[in-house]
Amino acid sequence: MIVISPYSKKLRNGKENPKNYPYWEELIAWIQINVGFDIVQVGVEGETKLVDDCRFNLSLIELRNLIKKCNTWISCDSMFQHLAWSEGKQGIVLWSVSDPLIYGHPENINLLKNRSYLVQNQFLWWDSYEFNPDAFVKPKEVVHFLK
Amino acid sequence: MILCSVATRGRYESTLPLVLEAIINQTKLPDKLIIWDDNDNAEDVREKLFYKYFFQRLTIKGVQWEWNFAHKKGQHHIHQMANTKGYDWVWRIDDDAIPEPNVLETLSLYAFEGIGAVGGAILTPPLLYNNSGITGKIDNINNESNIQWNFINETKEVEHLHCSFLYRAGIYDFNLGLSRVAHREETLFTYGLHQKGYKILVVPNANTWHLKNPTGGIRSETSQEMYDHDEKIFQNFLQFRNNTIVVLNCGMGDHIVFKHILSNVKNPLIFSCYPEIIEGKSIAEAEHLFGDLDQWNIYKKMEQWKWKDSLENAYRKLYL
Repeated sequence: MIVISPYSKKLRNGKENPKNYPYWEELIAWIQINVGFDIVQVGVEGETKLVDDCRFNLSLIELRNLIKKCNTWISCDSMFQHLAWSEGKQGIVLWSVSDPLIYGHPENINLLKNRSYLVQNQFLWWDSYEFNPDAFVKPKEVVHFLK
Repeated sequence: MILCSVATRGRYESTLPLVLEAIINQTKLPDKLIIWDDNDNAEDVREKLFYKYFFQRLTIKGVQWEWNFAHKKGQHHIHQMANTKGYDWVWRIDDDAIPEPNVLETLSLYAFEGIGAVGGAILTPPLLYNNSGITGKIDNINNESNIQWNFINETKEVEHLHCSFLYRAGIYDFNLGLSRVAHREETLFTYGLHQKGYKILVVPNANTWHLKNPTGGIRSETSQEMYDHDEKIFQNFLQFRNNTIVVLNCGMGDHIVFKHILSNVKNPLIFSCYPEIIEGKSIAEAEHLFGDLDQWNIYKKMEQWKWKDSLENAYRKLYL
């Protein structure tokens, strides 16, 4: 089983969070065809459902239990990647504008397309930055690490 | 690199010119002088002939200078701006404190590794206080006069300083939760440097004359409420001085990362947004106790430090 945590926290200004991975549907299709694991989506109520098995608003204990049970996980840069790291379960983080050297953990597979997409000031609210789908790696590159 | 920082209010025509004259005549000059004008009705004195001469002389002597109009929020805000200007050391001078010509040269002799701040005597005529036997320890602050209120005969390690001193910049923050009078601001600041593990010294042969003036002054507010508010914050810091105050006013992920270093934090007193991750008192209580929480804001700190390393190591720098 693969757990996916597709979305980072909603922004106060209502815009798309620039850390949200834009190619989930394609990535999920690739995983289903090439890897064949069940996929469980976690997040909070109101987020777009990408798979049949969506488990929203789980408690931290429930999330930890799910992490323990899964084979691996895929997440954007959000709380989930820290939680899974603290549980010692390796997974894949899909980066764009935030710096994995600051916010990531070397125990994970940190996929960043190019450091040129990182925002200069890493310490402001993410509301200050525009969403840019070009800043992310493509699904094909992610699947390569799942095989 | 040494920045000289002077906060002024209501003293254009009294002691401020004396302070500027004293700075210009130092045997060791600072790299830059910034005057922070905190007057309610600020005047642009840069074009006044007398002031113009000051600035012309600074330029001739190779000292950069700036006249900044401050935000009328008190000298702690001013000192914090100076503290984060990127200089190694800041020599802070009150606008009624006239340093003798050798003061910066003497203080800077002690500006080496391990030193957080160094001050000399702050002398208000007539000298009413005998400083023999004064400890300069924070525990005795309510029971003894300030060691700087008479001539200093020998170098001594203390825990807090007053009025004017040279300090290592960018290590500890001025408390911006204090009122405009900023009562105890320098005590809180220098004691904070001491708590960070830096030595605080008083040294001989660095005399500054504190010409107290009934009008003007950076603490010219008279509201007792402001003093009471600031005193309460000061007493709270004293009460918890043996704790490492931890304020996690940040996201869930940040709490999880911090948890990895928690066991190394000495005697922590924790305020937390997510007690289900890290147990602690509320952030509102921290704000009530300590006034301002910016000094524990990990994002502001990382920005200030131009941080490139991991979040976990930023927490280590802040709390260990």
